[in-house]
Amino acid sequence: MNPLLKVEGLTVRFGGLTAVDDASLAIAPGQIRGLIGPNGAGKTTLFNAISGLAPIAAGSLHLSGVDVTSFSAPQRAAQGIRRTFQTVQLVQSLTVYENLLFGLHSVARDPFTAFVVGGHAQRTNVDADRILAEVLEYLGMSDLQDRVVETLTIADQRYVEIGRALVARPKLLMLDEPTAGLSPAQLERLDDLIAKLPADWDVSILLVEHVIPLVVKLCDRITVLDRGRVIAEGTGSEIENDPVVQKAYLGERLDA
Amino acid sequence: MLSILRNNVLTLFFIIVLAISFTTDAYSQYLINLMLVYVVVAQGLNLILGFAGMFAFAHGAFMAIGAYVSALLMNTLGVPYLIALPMAGLAAAFVGCVIGIPAIRVSGLYLAMVTIGVSEIVQWVLRHWKPVTGGTDGMLVASPTFFGVEFSDDFQSFYVIFVVCALMTVLAQFVIRSRLGRAFVAIREGEIAAQSSGINVARTKVFAFAISAFYAGIGGSLFSLTQHYINPENFNLYQTIMQFCMVIVGGSASLIGPFIGAVILTWLPELLRNAQAFQEIGFGLLLIVFVIFMPRGLAGLLISRNILPRERFSRAARLRKKPEASTSVVVERP
Repeated sequence: MNPLLKVEGLTVRFGGLTAVDDASLAIAPGQIRGLIGPNGAGKTTLFNAISGLAPIAAGSLHLSGVDVTSFSAPQRAAQGIRRTFQTVQLVQSLTVYENLLFGLHSVARDPFTAFVVGGHAQRTNVDADRILAEVLEYLGMSDLQDRVVETLTIADQRYVEIGRALVARPKLLMLDEPTAGLSPAQLERLDDLIAKLPADWDVSILLVEHVIPLVVKLCDRITVLDRGRVIAEGTGSEIENDPVVQKAYLGERLDA
Repeated sequence: MLSILRNNVLTLFFIIVLAISFTTDAYSQYLINLMLVYVVVAQGLNLILGFAGMFAFAHGAFMAIGAYVSALLMNTLGVPYLIALPMAGLAAAFVGCVIGIPAIRVSGLYLAMVTIGVSEIVQWVLRHWKPVTGGTDGMLVASPTFFGVEFSDDFQSFYVIFVVCALMTVLAQFVIRSRLGRAFVAIREGEIAAQSSGINVARTKVFAFAISAFYAGIGGSLFSLTQHYINPENFNLYQTIMQFCMVIVGGSASLIGPFIGAVILTWLPELLRNAQAFQEIGFGLLLIVFVIFMPRGLAGLLISRNILPRERFSRAARLRKKPEASTSVVVERP
């Protein structure tokens, strides 16, 4: 099967520092892919490079066979790459409903607005309210739609961010440490949500996460980064038992 | 009844202004006209400063471009005002784009410096391009004629200004509730998140420049009607700061804010007529007090006290009932 996202030889340099070095990975449609690695491994940089926020020095990026390497961040968003952020990036003074509307920019109806703000001009009559109502219902947030975001808990704000991505019907949803700051109960709820997203929304997921047991439980395959390089890839149990991964996580001294 | 009034404050404002204008003397009429002009200009500045969060300080200059373009078209080419007015707005919008394209490379304080530089250049051109602008002597502005009737005094030009101000208000509301208006808010709150939601930040910023300059150009043209005579002094940095004051005091990123600001800052100087020196100090003090204690301005205060309704950022007709189980997602992937 053709991969949904194909990353080949991706390299990101900041001055003399090579933050991501020749990284390759392929995500199949409907797959949940975990991306783990010690601090400073380049997870977030790889994430940014895929979503278009970090400059790609070498390598290529294909989404459903389309070469998106040279696409800007908004162009990639319009192609179906959507993400959330480690620290929630919502408009705090607006309501849940209004924040979700931001996600619909790339399905702008008229060509003029599409030209200015970006994205595709679609002639179809996009019923924004219908889409938003459906996403809110799915996330169990219908009652919160008119609440101002700053009055919500962090957990609910993370749901709004996922919702903002979902309203655009992305092909690839990238979640950057979605569990940061959540209680165990909230974590379990988010867990269930992520697990059923691919089937319900026909989306692949790339998940950066620190909580390793969660990643092992959720992800079909896991990619491990260390010092900008992909050092391992495989299923949860393969990764857990991989000596190279253990060495990267536990450090050289224990190994000696 | 009260809630109808509460939800239609702007309609009420226009009705009251119209009612007052039937009973007023010439001088008050002049002030009402000036106030409506400032409503237009402040709405434009609010779009870029309040909604898009960009510190543009060139709106006195954009206003000058509008005023001089419409005056020159009417005086020298005999163009009817009905055409000269939109040309004034478009000329300012064009200059706004030209300035905006390089200026969006910087933001915050640096953008403020660049745009102040632009307004000083425009000042210099107005002063020194004597054959066209009349230099510091300024120029007289012909009265507009509609269908053979000359709108010369303040009572007559009121109707022109009133109608244009109302139209510009409708346009502002349209923009704010459109994707474009939400894109302004999105880039103000965080460019990275905006980009990741598919918003083209650079183009949105240039367009913020263009549309707010368009408002300033229209406002400048209307301003020339109230004065019958324009000179570079009308459009100096003091002008820009006063507009800035209107947006901040009235309430930035609010549709109603520019109205509150324009009303207060048109009438306040009149109350302080006998204390000229205090006018400028007063503006400065007002700005300081509001920036520190009431950053969302009076509109923000009234909304947080629930006296005014919360303003909406979408036009979508809201489904109140929950969607039926059979509802499927209608949007197709691009």
